[in-house]
Amino acid sequence: MASTPVALSGAERQRRLELRELLNAKYVFIDRTWDAVFWITAIFIVAGAADITKLLFAGDWDFWTDWKDPQWWPVVTAFATIIIPSALQYIQWVAWRFPTGATYTCCCLFLATWIGRFFQWHVAESYPMNFVWPISTVPAGIILDWILMKTRSFILTSLIGGGAWAILVWAFNYIPLAPYLQPAQFMHHVLTVSDVQGIAYIRSQTPEYLRHIERGALRSFLGETQYVSLLFGGTLAAVGYWVGQFIGRYLAVWPIRRYIKTL
Amino acid sequence: MDSTLEAMGLEEGRYRPTDWLGGWKTLFWSCGLLLLANVFLWVWDYKYAFTAGLNSNSHEFTLRYRTLFWGELLTVGAFAGIWYGWLVRTGRALLNTEITPAEEVRRIAVLWGIIGATSLSLYIEASFWPNWDGAWHQTMVRDTALTPTHIPMFYFFFPLSVVLALGAYLYGRFRIPAVYGADKVFPWSFFLLIAAAVLEFVQVAFNEWGHSLWLSEEFFAVPFHWPFVTYGWLAGGMFAVWGETILRLFDIEKAIRVVELPRQTAAAGS
Repeated sequence: MASTPVALSGAERQRRLELRELLNAKYVFIDRTWDAVFWITAIFIVAGAADITKLLFAGDWDFWTDWKDPQWWPVVTAFATIIIPSALQYIQWVAWRFPTGATYTCCCLFLATWIGRFFQWHVAESYPMNFVWPISTVPAGIILDWILMKTRSFILTSLIGGGAWAILVWAFNYIPLAPYLQPAQFMHHVLTVSDVQGIAYIRSQTPEYLRHIERGALRSFLGETQYVSLLFGGTLAAVGYWVGQFIGRYLAVWPIRRYIKTL
Repeated sequence: MDSTLEAMGLEEGRYRPTDWLGGWKTLFWSCGLLLLANVFLWVWDYKYAFTAGLNSNSHEFTLRYRTLFWGELLTVGAFAGIWYGWLVRTGRALLNTEITPAEEVRRIAVLWGIIGATSLSLYIEASFWPNWDGAWHQTMVRDTALTPTHIPMFYFFFPLSVVLALGAYLYGRFRIPAVYGADKVFPWSFFLLIAAAVLEFVQVAFNEWGHSLWLSEEFFAVPFHWPFVTYGWLAGGMFAVWGETILRLFDIEKAIRVVELPRQTAAAGS
């Protein structure tokens, strides 16, 4: 297909010339080592921020298989895990037009949670990994970035991506969870395999009334419980997305070259 | 020696500012030392947490953990005193000296090295140790604020992050005056980063007070734990430090082009 020549305005031509000059500029001191150091050392702070946010807002629902329930897990996890990916999505989009911030964050979080879960929960405390495995948000992060790339709008990404985030985090982690939701007979009761794990592996600081965390009231919804939770989780994820946007905009990008004039 | 290289502060036969063994050396040394300290503390806890860390009234606890607690505080305090003293004393002398582009770039690389170490320290305190802290306190009865997982996390890596963040600012304050000099007063980037580290202490106090009322860790995601997330969020200031020093690098490159290219053109024409 023949391309139609576009008449460029003077300002646009000037902007393109400046961009071309920037692209072809030869630098004395700016080289790839800066990129390498930035992207690698940022892994630590991004992983730390994402993990502490998940640990303190939704930690219990991620620590144990028997806490990955249809009522609370989709709600608190969706909110807690979207915050830092959203912040990094803003930073990387504004700085480089990279639609990769959420994926980058989710990969950092994935590494951090597996290191923590393996060395601390499994090696140091002897819990089996099939009881304390962490969730993965990487597939949801890829799709959140894809939504930003397609919409080029943070508002649309929050509205579409927030709802999608709750569903995706639940759906992709339901695959490893499903085997633990199979029924098992334990001391003349029918429980799930994950409930049996929760009883077998002692958590002496977790009282009995918290051990079976599913409440009776929502049983009336039967299988609908988790869909109601996912809907609410999506709403909260959209809110969490804007908490992350605040962090990216006002705590990471806005302070660049700004100074407190009076102390 | 090429006059252009000389004007930029580059010397033949020496590492350039962005060589891995040049300006980036600080990053490798600082992160290496941090990882060594972390491995030591993890192995210490792995060896003694169950055998000496369960009863804070026991002799074994005093021997293995109270000594570790004081040892950590003294180590971090001594390190801070010596490092800050050196930074300020040598920094004051450097303030009145001419700075070449290569030297300024090297100093920015060193600052990035300190920031990289701060980033690693924040990860260790925000993810690595909280995982064991969660596992420990949800399964072991707590009879003291100085539990085996708290001692490395709260009393070594928390104060170390404050020391590193403040040290990074002092480094920039005296050695990169174009971005962090006295005339700029105080940058928001470091304000947020240091606030992130300092607020942890406030939260540690609140946390331990909370646990004096509610000893058990029924929920790890309990509301009085939530303020801990603020340091993860405020550490976003680190991105601002990276951003403003990158802009300074572009300024340096621009200045080189403005000064050096006409000189080279004139030299070629003569």
